Amino acid sequence: MFLYVVWNVSRDVMIVSDLLPSSIRRERMKQGDLRRALMVVTLLCAVLFLYLYWQQTSRQEPTLIFNYEHAFLPNYKKPQPPQWTWECVNQRCERRHVTTSHQSKLQSLATCGMLCGSMQLWPQPTGPVTLGSRAVSFNHLQMELMHGVAGPAKAMLEQAYRAFNDSVVSLVQRAEYVKDHPDVKKFIVKVTVNHPEIVRLKLDTSEGYNVVVKAYNDEIVANVTAKTFFGARHGLETLSQLIWWDEYAPGGGSLRVLKGATVQDAPAFPYRGLMVDTSRNFMSIETLKRVLVAMAASKLNVFHWHITDSQSFPLVVPGYPEFSRTGSYSPDMTYSPEEVRGLVEFARLRGIRVLLEVDTPAHAGNGWTWGPKAGLGELAVCVNEKPWNIYCGEPPCGQLNPDNPAVYTVLENLYKYLLDLSGEREIFHIGGDEVNLECWAQHLQKNVVANNYTDLHDLWGDFTLKAISRLQQANGGTKIPHVIVWSSKLSQRPYISKYLDKSNVVVQSWGASQWTDTPDLIADGYRVILSHVDAWYLDCGFGRWRETGEAACDPYRPWQTVYSHRPWQQFHLPKNQIMGGEVCLWSEQVDESSLDARLWPRAAAFAERVWTDPQLDLATFNIHEDVYTRLNTHRDRLVARGIGAEALWPQWCSQNPGMCL
Amino acid sequence: MECEASLKNSAAILILLTIFSHVNSWYFKCENGFCIRNADPNDKSNYPTLELCSLVCSSFHNVWPQPTGKMASLKNIVRINPNKIEIKLNGPPGTDHFIADNILHFSKKLKKEEPYNCTEKVYPLKIILTPKSNNPHLDLNTNESYTLEIIYEDDTITASINAYSIFGIRHGLETLFQLIIPYEDGNQKCIATLSYVYISDKPVYKHRGLLLDTGRNFLSVDTIKRHLDGMAASKLNVLHWHITDSQSFPLEVGRLPNMTKYGAYSEKHIYSESAIKDLLQYANRRGVRILPEIDAPSHAGNGWQWGEEAGLGNLAVCINRQPWRSFCIQPPCGQLNPTNQNLYSVLKDLYSHMRDHFPDTGMFHMGGDEVFIPCWNSTQEIIDYLRGKPLTTETFLDLWGEFQRKALAAYDRAFEHEDTSIVVWTSHITQPEVIRKYLSNERYIIQTWVPESNINLITELLKLEYRVIISTKDKWYLDHGFWGSTLYYNWKTVYENKMYKYNHEGILGGEVCMWGELVDDNNIDSRVWPRAAAAAERLWSNPRSTAEFAQYRFFAQRKRLVDLGIHAEALTPKWCVDSQGECKTYL
Repeated sequence: MFLYVVWNVSRDVMIVSDLLPSSIRRERMKQGDLRRALMVVTLLCAVLFLYLYWQQTSRQEPTLIFNYEHAFLPNYKKPQPPQWTWECVNQRCERRHVTTSHQSKLQSLATCGMLCGSMQLWPQPTGPVTLGSRAVSFNHLQMELMHGVAGPAKAMLEQAYRAFNDSVVSLVQRAEYVKDHPDVKKFIVKVTVNHPEIVRLKLDTSEGYNVVVKAYNDEIVANVTAKTFFGARHGLETLSQLIWWDEYAPGGGSLRVLKGATVQDAPAFPYRGLMVDTSRNFMSIETLKRVLVAMAASKLNVFHWHITDSQSFPLVVPGYPEFSRTGSYSPDMTYSPEEVRGLVEFARLRGIRVLLEVDTPAHAGNGWTWGPKAGLGELAVCVNEKPWNIYCGEPPCGQLNPDNPAVYTVLENLYKYLLDLSGEREIFHIGGDEVNLECWAQHLQKNVVANNYTDLHDLWGDFTLKAISRLQQANGGTKIPHVIVWSSKLSQRPYISKYLDKSNVVVQSWGASQWTDTPDLIADGYRVILSHVDAWYLDCGFGRWRETGEAACDPYRPWQTVYSHRPWQQFHLPKNQIMGGEVCLWSEQVDESSLDARLWPRAAAFAERVWTDPQLDLATFNIHEDVYTRLNTHRDRLVARGIGAEALWPQWCSQNPGMCL
Repeated sequence: MECEASLKNSAAILILLTIFSHVNSWYFKCENGFCIRNADPNDKSNYPTLELCSLVCSSFHNVWPQPTGKMASLKNIVRINPNKIEIKLNGPPGTDHFIADNILHFSKKLKKEEPYNCTEKVYPLKIILTPKSNNPHLDLNTNESYTLEIIYEDDTITASINAYSIFGIRHGLETLFQLIIPYEDGNQKCIATLSYVYISDKPVYKHRGLLLDTGRNFLSVDTIKRHLDGMAASKLNVLHWHITDSQSFPLEVGRLPNMTKYGAYSEKHIYSESAIKDLLQYANRRGVRILPEIDAPSHAGNGWQWGEEAGLGNLAVCINRQPWRSFCIQPPCGQLNPTNQNLYSVLKDLYSHMRDHFPDTGMFHMGGDEVFIPCWNSTQEIIDYLRGKPLTTETFLDLWGEFQRKALAAYDRAFEHEDTSIVVWTSHITQPEVIRKYLSNERYIIQTWVPESNINLITELLKLEYRVIISTKDKWYLDHGFWGSTLYYNWKTVYENKMYKYNHEGILGGEVCMWGELVDDNNIDSRVWPRAAAAAERLWSNPRSTAEFAQYRFFAQRKRLVDLGIHAEALTPKWCVDSQGECKTYL
């Protein structure tokens, strides 16, 4: 037995796959066969071109976008009738096996969950909420936006409505349902914004909103009222959570919405952040957009983008192309200015501001090595220096050279660029953590300036002062009201009062919650953003990727720990100095393959902490059953929107609320 | 075809532009087994990419898992003409489909690199596959060894794979395609391999498994296939499929439609007979045998509620009972009712279904772990059955033993032979003092999941002449680290799980276990991979060397998994992947 196959890799897999179905051909394809096949393919291509040509000329920009990608479970056989129905008993959905007596009144879990006392909103609103106990079916083509918003917020609102529409469409599991006859003829979304001139999120921007859903004859009208676009956007988000897919609706499933609802809501904290590091490992723009979609769904409002570090510099800086040319992992692992601007806009439409952090003076190495070639001298020292454990916390090392005046000029231009890219002029993150003084001591010792310092912390402090003043110059001479630095030696006594101006500097406190860092900062009158490593660092728990290093932050914190962290209550800290909190994902052991699962749903648990800030039972740390149920619903929502969020528990526990606690 | 070609050209032009706009800032040279970054573009010993350098420089030429037999090679790279790859199959008839499917599978890797632009001289590649047997059946005793020889002479590259079985041929192809890599230099984009390689290879352990659990959370057929791809890439050969548990029963059983009717999460969360057929064939083509597990008598609840209604009495007890902490160790509760004789005829039907729809690989997993005595002890029906006997642990263990004996008899009746080896988890009834009383060492294989500190148990079981499969729970339980006080085991810990202090023929192999409470289609990939690949080398090669020594080869394997579409976790900053030796610790 002898088989001979010519396998032409570059032509088409068709030739190989042809072999598969029944028997393998034992000889070469005849010349004629190939010609005929080519003819057919050419014809098909022509038809395709015609079709595409026609499409592009005749297609109008749709007012509502129907674009969802949903992972349908593969159907190996025709669907069977449902086997479970849910009944509301004592405000809890109980699963029942379908018997013949049920047939007429089957209720899906989603419908039961929405109508059975517990609200499925995440984060839970802080104001009064009343939800109806009845629902109507509709389809997404019936939805219509009405608004009287003029001015700059108009276009934003229309975009935000599209995002809302996408969220609704993501729930649809059966495209043909639009041909069914729903309970209503129209679903009107009326949005009122009192201050349409506000198009940029600030700390004092009102994010509150009211949502009122009412049914009139055969119409559903949802009124979303807010002071600003940002509030209205959150209102739409909440409205999307009053809508669900009822898979048992007549005909094989339909969208449903509560027939009546009122929600009043506003956040507890103005700064609700999430940080992603794209330097240790690169994340594509598509992946970062998924992060923003999930953040918007959870009403988080600051995307802190730790864009560079000593490992790589993926940001393209047109004024200094050498940054990404020498610092990125590869030409395709970079962020062009257009991509960053696009992402900033994508975020703004979702009520999220973007902070671009280029960390200095430490955490800067690769990407900063081109100074000598450009005639600027060494911009950074200890870059990739060995043994790394003497000069930095994790490989590779690198720290800016505080002695080189050119460094400050480059920084100023870089800051100008970052301010321009993000459009963000209220808050700016300069990094500023984990300076290794040994690196400077070894490399600057012969220098006169270095000899002027008996304590190199002062050198670090002077660098910081200069950087902040360059930031002001980059901002056209106007002070940035809130300059964030990571907590470090410099943000501790005695250096802090000398180098960090409390009216201007905000400290992002990342030490363990038991450390004295946060209480000291507060006592000294500083404002803080909390990112305690033992609760809100989402990268922890995957073991050490290098053998040494003090920052081993294991173990993994499950969502319950993230949720239950309420340091202002646990440690009696005054809330007025706490701008908010931020969950952080350092990317040494994560890239876009597993980013979603690391972040979600834990970051959503955090979101309720900083939006709603529910009371904590310090005696038991018990989390109420309702939180489990609501978070699980929210997790399903994220999955529908394309986020690869982690499973909370066996699906049995979702189907039997309260039975796994 | 023409329009496609023009599209390809424009894509090629785009790629050229990006290459020209970014000067290659690093080259790599081979020093002491590391590929060192070199900024000097004129160094003659440079390789243009890390991948090419590693092909020459890395231990075992970057093959994962490392081959166990003789290995010889030359360190010259030859470029392959991607348009001239021929496959010849020499051997007994009947293996065409298997081989063609595998060729298609491996060709995906090369298609990814398209379009090619080979500017330097390239040579045709001839792959000659010579299996001795055409047996399509995979079982514990399948001979998986192979030899691979790549020779470049007379302007042709010939890769010959010889093996006893087609599964050995498949492993050989796996190795061959790990040795064929992209050749990128400037604007050249081609493929290449080494000019001479000889590898003789066979696994140390016959049973190299990954457990997936679809009882806690359903996994789609696509997800399971993705895992089969990852297993094949790492030469793992057993998918231990923990199909059912007390939470759900997703396996469609034609004879017993109530099992899924009462047990599946929904009508969409069912493995239909056709899905199973599809999966089994897919697994076979990837060289993986499926070891199904229907866990009993514990870990069984949902799916077993219908007995009373069907006039068969309670097939299981304590189902979904609350407060669950009194009746089981994890909600929902449920345990089969050993005192109901109808249970055994239902079990026989279930086993007959397994006989009809799964290939007879000579092995079946009956679970048999974590019986929670308070459940039985609180069920009147069972207490009545034990009338007269003291309600001690021993009595209940005897009852459990009785169940096991009758379940085995039902199995044997269904299969009409007594040759199947039954695997059970270590439990109260596998304790060395009592195991002989309940389980015969001829019929039973014991899967140990005790922590490393309890390795004595394995010694005892081996002394009693039981065959064992090892799943060290504090190294190889991939679900740990996310619940309770368990810890996450990183790939190095997984890799360094010493299977046992010495190789003993009673040790069939081992399995890494992915219990499904906290994973589903959305996040399972990154929990399993690449850690399961670390276990794969332990089981295939059982090396004496450390994880540290294997790390760059392992990074390469992680990338292979990502290229297969598996969301394998990142292990370290990419900088450390690209800068060999730079991230190690200096003390």
